[in-house]
Amino acid sequence: MEFKVRAYRFNPEIDEKPYYKEYTVEDYPGMTVLNALIKVKSELDGTLSFRRSCRSAICGSCAMKINGISKLACKTQVSPEIEKFGIINVEPLANMPVVRDLIVDQESFFDKIKEIKPYLLGQREDEAHNHFHVLKEGEKISQPVYYRPEFQNLTGNNDTPNCILCECCYSECGGVVGNPRYLGPAALAKLYRYSEDPRDNDKNGSRLVNGSKPDGMWDCVHCQSCEEFCPKGISPVKSIVKLHERTIKNSITFSAGSKHVVSIAKSIGETGRLDEIKVAFDSGGISGLINDLPMAFGAGLKGKIPPLRLKLIKDMDDIRLAYKELDLEEK
Amino acid sequence: MITYAYYPGCVAQESGKELDNATKFIADKLGINLIPMPEASCCGGGVIDGFDKNLKLFINGRTLALAEKDGLDIMTICNTCTLTLSEVNEELINNPESLEKTNEYLAKIGLKYSGKVKVKHILYAVRDDVGFDKLKEKAVKSLKGINIAPFYGCHILRPSSTVKFDDVENPRGFEELIKALGGEPVSYGRRTKCCGFQTILVNEATSTSLAGNAIYEAQEKNADVMVTPCPLCHLSLDTYQTVAAKSINKKLSLPILHLPQLIGVALGGDYSEMGFSRHNVSLRGIMAKVRQNEI
Repeated sequence: MEFKVRAYRFNPEIDEKPYYKEYTVEDYPGMTVLNALIKVKSELDGTLSFRRSCRSAICGSCAMKINGISKLACKTQVSPEIEKFGIINVEPLANMPVVRDLIVDQESFFDKIKEIKPYLLGQREDEAHNHFHVLKEGEKISQPVYYRPEFQNLTGNNDTPNCILCECCYSECGGVVGNPRYLGPAALAKLYRYSEDPRDNDKNGSRLVNGSKPDGMWDCVHCQSCEEFCPKGISPVKSIVKLHERTIKNSITFSAGSKHVVSIAKSIGETGRLDEIKVAFDSGGISGLINDLPMAFGAGLKGKIPPLRLKLIKDMDDIRLAYKELDLEEK
Repeated sequence: MITYAYYPGCVAQESGKELDNATKFIADKLGINLIPMPEASCCGGGVIDGFDKNLKLFINGRTLALAEKDGLDIMTICNTCTLTLSEVNEELINNPESLEKTNEYLAKIGLKYSGKVKVKHILYAVRDDVGFDKLKEKAVKSLKGINIAPFYGCHILRPSSTVKFDDVENPRGFEELIKALGGEPVSYGRRTKCCGFQTILVNEATSTSLAGNAIYEAQEKNADVMVTPCPLCHLSLDTYQTVAAKSINKKLSLPILHLPQLIGVALGGDYSEMGFSRHNVSLRGIMAKVRQNEI
């Protein structure tokens, strides 16, 4: 079966603006999009540029937009794409500048990975195994830390280390679309992974404090795209939410984002409902309120204003008991 | 007649009452019996697990148990409520430890959950339980000649391992509904993207640029109106539209409908029954077009 590959083309040294070029390729059973692109490059047009290496969904090099969604070309089969979209439309990943054709400049992505310090901080004094030395005769190798229960019982870290830094999540992230300075899902999932690691010696909680600053963990828009489109089945958004929980439980609540979440929890604990006015005030403070005044005034004129005093839900004591059982009353 | 436990969520009972009213209007016309849940609490607005994961399980496990006690499935009208209740349902069904812990709490308030409840958003309740053919039969006004941009939002599509209503890469439910009502669905890239609501009180610039760009793209594709299945998206797209316009430095003026209002108009609902006076962007132009389209 013949099918069309429609490729985004742009060489900033020659082209004034990007354009698309179509190629006709012959399909074979099990053909991947990367197979198709290699066929185009070797048989039809040697100028088509794209990154690739392992062809086994391990190196993350061939991530690109395929029919509008960020995927690994080597892991994406041609036939289901043709069945759904009738064409293989390939474009560079989003949220990064294009170097040429399907190749993007990854610098901003890796700068953000570096920013969260993706390595163990300091060294714990009780970790004797960290002191490398030549084994004496008869000395046994101490048990690697990975086999210790404290490491195995880590919650949420089953998947984050599987990240191959392919940038699919970063390309799909709504938070980065809205704010290019936002750290993004891959970096924040790594931040959570290190903040939970028992070998990490982050004595003053700097990871959680730095992660709470503007453009950090509270800028996640919860669009779920990072989980949906991760080719390795990782859920960065779930790690980010765990980071939120860890941050609030450590009383690091200077950010508007943490205030917002605490206010929602408080509102439910008091009324069973989300108090829109109170949550807006608690999250943004007086300056936020003043900023939103014209919008709120306009909505008020239309009658679109929440009640000033909320009616409690029926059986509100049930909810109070939930807070009591979880020892959350004081928070 | 199909019966659901009706979970409108907080916004539709507070600033977005027009959505609740339109839902009740169309449910009555389409033969969907909605049983109110006055005991149900807020789901936690999609962020409560950032405060305490178990609190999310307890309060939403309670809502699911209330529906199960009456032998009913839950119908939602908010994307975020849909995802939160679905996530908790999934966790309680698949994780015996979470179910046991939640049931220990529920036992103290005279409830028990065993995982029988299904959570369905109204868009897919209309598709699956009423059917678009029957919807077409019941319509008294046609939406012919109106370009309607569907804005799915995030939480009825993603993550598709939890909310399994539509094809996450190329959803069609909304477009099919619009076609059934005689309207012309507008195809645009941001129809499945984020409205930014979750950070509207945290980082307004990020949030409003997402909403603004979605509106702008739909406008550029000649949309007469945009429709959303989520009251949180509606706040971003309609209530904050003036702020969004400033944020992206573009002129925006696109009326935004709640999904039940779109269906309601086709079923004969008038301007006041649909609560159109409560919208930021005027719907008078759209209503003038619809009035001419008597079936």
